[in-house]
Amino acid sequence: MFKELLTKFAYFLHSSKRYKTIKTTFSNFLLNADYEYKKYFDIFMISLIVVSITILVYEVKNPVPDWVDFFDIYIVTTIFLIEYIGRVWVHNDWHKQVVKEVGEAQFLNRDISVWVPTKEILKGKMKYLLTPTAIIDLLAILPAYRPLRVLRIFVLFRVFKLLRYTKSINQFLGVLASKKFELFTLLFLLIFITVTAGIAIYVFEQNENENIDSIFDALYWALITISTVGYGDISPVTAEGRVVSMIIIVSGIAMISFVTSVIVSSFSEKLDELKENRIIEELNKKDEFMIICGYGQMTRMFLRYYAEEYDKRYIVIENDKEKVEEAIKEGYKAIHEDASKHDVIKRFNLQYSNITLLALTGNDIANIYITLNAKSLSRKIKVVARARTDKMVKKYQLAGADSIVRPNVIADRMLYTAITQPVMYKAIYAILIGKNMALLDEVNLDDSELLVGKTIEELEFKKQKLLCIGLQRAGEGGEFLFNPPAKTTLEELDTLLVMGRKVSIEHFRNIYKKVKYV
Amino acid sequence: MFNRKALMFGYSNTTKFLAENLTQELHYLVIIVDDDESYQAAKKAGYRVKLLDITDDDVLEELDVEEDDYLICVMKDHYINVFLTLSLHSLFPKTTIIALSDSYHATQKLKMAGATRIIDLYQVSANRIHNILTKPVATKLIEQLFSPEEDFSFKEMLIPENSVLDGIMADDFDFSTYGIILVGMIDKRLSNQFIFITSGLENRFDVGDTLVCIGYNNDLEKFETYIKGA
Repeated sequence: MFKELLTKFAYFLHSSKRYKTIKTTFSNFLLNADYEYKKYFDIFMISLIVVSITILVYEVKNPVPDWVDFFDIYIVTTIFLIEYIGRVWVHNDWHKQVVKEVGEAQFLNRDISVWVPTKEILKGKMKYLLTPTAIIDLLAILPAYRPLRVLRIFVLFRVFKLLRYTKSINQFLGVLASKKFELFTLLFLLIFITVTAGIAIYVFEQNENENIDSIFDALYWALITISTVGYGDISPVTAEGRVVSMIIIVSGIAMISFVTSVIVSSFSEKLDELKENRIIEELNKKDEFMIICGYGQMTRMFLRYYAEEYDKRYIVIENDKEKVEEAIKEGYKAIHEDASKHDVIKRFNLQYSNITLLALTGNDIANIYITLNAKSLSRKIKVVARARTDKMVKKYQLAGADSIVRPNVIADRMLYTAITQPVMYKAIYAILIGKNMALLDEVNLDDSELLVGKTIEELEFKKQKLLCIGLQRAGEGGEFLFNPPAKTTLEELDTLLVMGRKVSIEHFRNIYKKVKYV
Repeated sequence: MFNRKALMFGYSNTTKFLAENLTQELHYLVIIVDDDESYQAAKKAGYRVKLLDITDDDVLEELDVEEDDYLICVMKDHYINVFLTLSLHSLFPKTTIIALSDSYHATQKLKMAGATRIIDLYQVSANRIHNILTKPVATKLIEQLFSPEEDFSFKEMLIPENSVLDGIMADDFDFSTYGIILVGMIDKRLSNQFIFITSGLENRFDVGDTLVCIGYNNDLEKFETYIKGA
């Protein structure tokens, strides 16, 4: 009976859209670095921590009003507690595990065990609870228990909690972690020299030096000396002791230099990676952005004309380091990576952002591979690829490219037009580069109630100094009506193709305010 | 148009495309190359071809070039292309020189060398990509207009003597009855520049003006026949 109830409850949670939405929202706030509102949550938590620590420091010497105490004990702690519980909650999904168990049990024709998936989930949650960050979170809640004043010192764990919300400290720790082996080796060397020097000074001066009473004094002196701090409260009095001092001072300086060089070299190694991560993180917060693969002539030309228009919503991925440096020097956002690699494209926010990928390397094989790689990760990514030869077009289509650009074909046709229709060539050229006098623009009717249902005649294009060139009916295979007849009625999701001066189109927009420009 | 000649310098896919598509438009078309391999290949393919030292001004001077002709520079080597453009411009300053460029810097040099029109391979492609992203429907239409294979295009039409259009104001004429759209014109009364019909100026059709219309080829031809009628 109980098992049945639990299973039913698990299925209820599994099918509940509301539960899913709430959990996803919590998860986004707590864990998803790409979620656009997470930064506000982080700022809020950092503010709480700062306020809480300020109260702790202030109340050491000054009495604090009751309401401040109340705020610190109940409000701050409750928020920390909710956050703690929230993190445990979103760590894994019990209902998914139960549903999986039911599926497996039915398939294998065996009894359903609710305990097995529950145990798995509890194990997972326990594993999370024992992680350093979860322990810090818990310890940061404890100071609220006032009967034990000693717990107040745990407020310091609220400082450690800052690690969760500040990327730079995390990145610093990450860099140190990458040099774990070198740093541990140096630490062992430090312990070895300190202990050896401590024993030596103890042996040489225990009877001569009144400040050295125990081995602890000797070790304390050795550590203070090797670190080059040298308080001076204990100093050697014998010649042997001074020799030991000299040796450990030199070892100390060498060791500090080693540690510094290890950290600095580690930073310089990781600097590019850190910068790249920052660029990708920034980009992932945007609703739509563009990934440009390859920094060749075509990309240069594209960015020369349109980088400003796309503002900060693009990134160039190039696997030639020199070209990347060149792009950065030109003021473009570029990273040194191989766009054909699965892991590289996976770093982008494929789930939430609308991504357009331009495969513009000079190599068809690389472009096709990049196209396949992007499309295999998400069909949602729009791919515009450059094809060098006509023979490749079919392959690009099979790979899933949404649009294929053939520079030679475009140029050939432009040349042909320049010879056969020189006047029109100028006109089309102006339209193509969107010159002010002749803008060819699209007007989407997707959310415009004002245009839907109107006829072409009613829109009085001529009066507004506009030309209605055509009408694209909605849908993938929607019909394109060139020069639509006056009685044609506009329908929802249609796209109007109009030509005119920018000011005329702006005016048209003002009349039909809900008109959305593509 | 039909009494004009085109001299194309260089043998490539572009030259082949133009040679195949321009036979109806021009009365003489020749490919000029500077290496034997290209000469043999072009000859074998059936094109009219000449083998010349294009760096020699004396040789170029002997070419039969009129002011109305076209000189098309599509040499593979962009150094030679710029040099050739410069030579041709100094020898035939009034003739239209159309050059193909494959870089921003080459485009600047070709401009300085005196090319009348420069088609920058990458600039047109960059524009195309931008248009695909921002105006997909418009891009598709422009693509159709540019494609010689499509039955949908644009046409320049000269208003002849005794045309039915002579003296009519542009706003008073309904082009939609003919299924075409008037995009713009050269209104000689105002200037020799192309003016978009949406520019807000009051244009009048007069003999000698050039109209630029878009539409289906059949409709465009029917309209051209119509305006020629008295």
